[in-house]
Amino acid sequence: MTHRLTESGRVLQVDSLARVEGEGAMRVEVRNGEVTDVELRIFEPPRFFEAFLRGRAWTEPPDITARICGICPVAYQMSSCLAIEQACGVTVPEELRLMRRLLYCGEWLESHALHIYFLHAPDFLGYESAIEMARDHRDVVERGLRLKKAGNALMTLVGGRAVHPVNVRVGGFYRLPTRPELQALRPALERGRAEALETVALVAGFDFPDFEQSYEYLSLRSEQGYPLESGSVVTSGGSTFPAAEFGLHVTEEHVARSNALHGRLHGGDDPYVVGPLARYTLCSDQLSPLAQEAARAAGLGPTCRNPFRSIVVRAVELVYAFDEALRIVDGWDGAVAPAVPVPARAGEGHGATEAPRGLLYHRYRLDEDGTILEAQIVPPTSQNQASIEADLRAFVQPRLHLSQEELTRQCEQAIRNYDPCISCATHFLDLHVDRS
Amino acid sequence: MNVGVADLGTGLVVGLGNRDRGDDGVGPEVAARVTGLLPDVRVVEHEDPTSLMDLWAGEDPVVIVDAVRSGHHPGTLVVVEAGADAGPLPAEPWAPTGRGGTHALGLAAVLELARALDRLPRRVVVVGIEVAAVGHGVPMSAEVAAAVPAAVEAVVALAEPSGGGR
Repeated sequence: MTHRLTESGRVLQVDSLARVEGEGAMRVEVRNGEVTDVELRIFEPPRFFEAFLRGRAWTEPPDITARICGICPVAYQMSSCLAIEQACGVTVPEELRLMRRLLYCGEWLESHALHIYFLHAPDFLGYESAIEMARDHRDVVERGLRLKKAGNALMTLVGGRAVHPVNVRVGGFYRLPTRPELQALRPALERGRAEALETVALVAGFDFPDFEQSYEYLSLRSEQGYPLESGSVVTSGGSTFPAAEFGLHVTEEHVARSNALHGRLHGGDDPYVVGPLARYTLCSDQLSPLAQEAARAAGLGPTCRNPFRSIVVRAVELVYAFDEALRIVDGWDGAVAPAVPVPARAGEGHGATEAPRGLLYHRYRLDEDGTILEAQIVPPTSQNQASIEADLRAFVQPRLHLSQEELTRQCEQAIRNYDPCISCATHFLDLHVDRS
Repeated sequence: MNVGVADLGTGLVVGLGNRDRGDDGVGPEVAARVTGLLPDVRVVEHEDPTSLMDLWAGEDPVVIVDAVRSGHHPGTLVVVEAGADAGPLPAEPWAPTGRGGTHALGLAAVLELARALDRLPRRVVVVGIEVAAVGHGVPMSAEVAAAVPAAVEAVVALAEPSGGGR
């Protein structure tokens, strides 16, 4: 931590915001005891990829967009497949939808286990990081690793490998796992489900700041289960629309300080939120009975308005993902072709699926030979960015009496409520709290 | 991406990084060039350091090639002994690569977490290459590209089953 003076007053610069990686920066400006500005700078990769995709073949987006994020490649693959298939007038058979759902369960398990145990739990338990937590709570951290590994095994079997799955293609998969291969995962999935229930019990006992926000929630909703790989868009304000109308309801606004575009719902100025809190509030009736029971036992009601409780919802979603994976594994007979043909044609297609951190939308426009003329990607974090900043604004003001160090720690925790995808691969984030 | 597979226990080379991010792709680039030079060593390209704890189970030695920012000139090689036989990493030189993230763990965090959980191989060597340009879609900088042969040489010497580099 270094101190330096600038013309605007004292700036405390934290050289590396613990457990926040990616290219980004958070700046809180305080003038005369009032928080006057909060900025979360996020540099997101989708803009580069949108340009990169133009001129490529309609079969390429699943492989190319998977490279956007090392943590949620399946989300990028699934949304791009749906969009391309819609543009080409193809719907995959039910068995392939289920296999996509199973792969997606693997991604949720990996991502949620990592976030709950290694990134967010240390905040609640008062540790600087999972390393310090591991010294005192070795069993807990080992459980987190086992949960993550179960997701990893699912990703490796269905996706072909654990990071950037290579087995996904427009129209389905290159190869489908056999029933014996899937059955071999059962013991790990069953143990995982039991440990996911223990996870819910663990996180439900954390202390949560008394902090609620009234943002509009937006998620997919499906009558075929809790939203993952398909569904229509619903909002807590009562709107329902298909993914194809996403662009009519959500507009992207360029924010000068970042190359990210901020999402706006219905042209309004108020933030809206995607992710676990939105999914739970809009779709908790679609959770499995076991996950619903776990949610009730954890004290969750029909809605959840406290962003700090997102860790509890993630734990409930872990239970659901294991439950759902077991359901699909047990029902799988493997008697289907791994993919259906997706012949190129001119058209436009839209795809929306639920990444672990929220709804991810893709749109592609193709010419008659399948060349991509236009690509648009709206990731969850750019949709949540306005709400993260609004949370920080409301959260910091009554906590200005805290020491710089403690305030920084609590701000980090508040940012992590949204599990934001700031940027993969390169790891820099500076935090500035500027108090004149 | 598995670019070469051998039996467990004869050594592992992991190239960490993202090829779409200019110099951040140097880890995978070095790993790709090492492939085949060490027939008995498993060589892997990866993006997520968190997976290291599963990848290196049963392996020794482990050589990790990654992009770093430590204030040196671009292209500078930084070799750090980080295994169980070595002490904990000093915090300061690792700060720029972060001890974790909003949705991932950094390399330094994974090494120290593995140390705390007794999951760290006895010998882990990090070969870091100081980076200059990590923008999306930018080419690898000339300085970093020029450092690749030396990095390959260093990795081969460190990962040789004969114990080279020890």
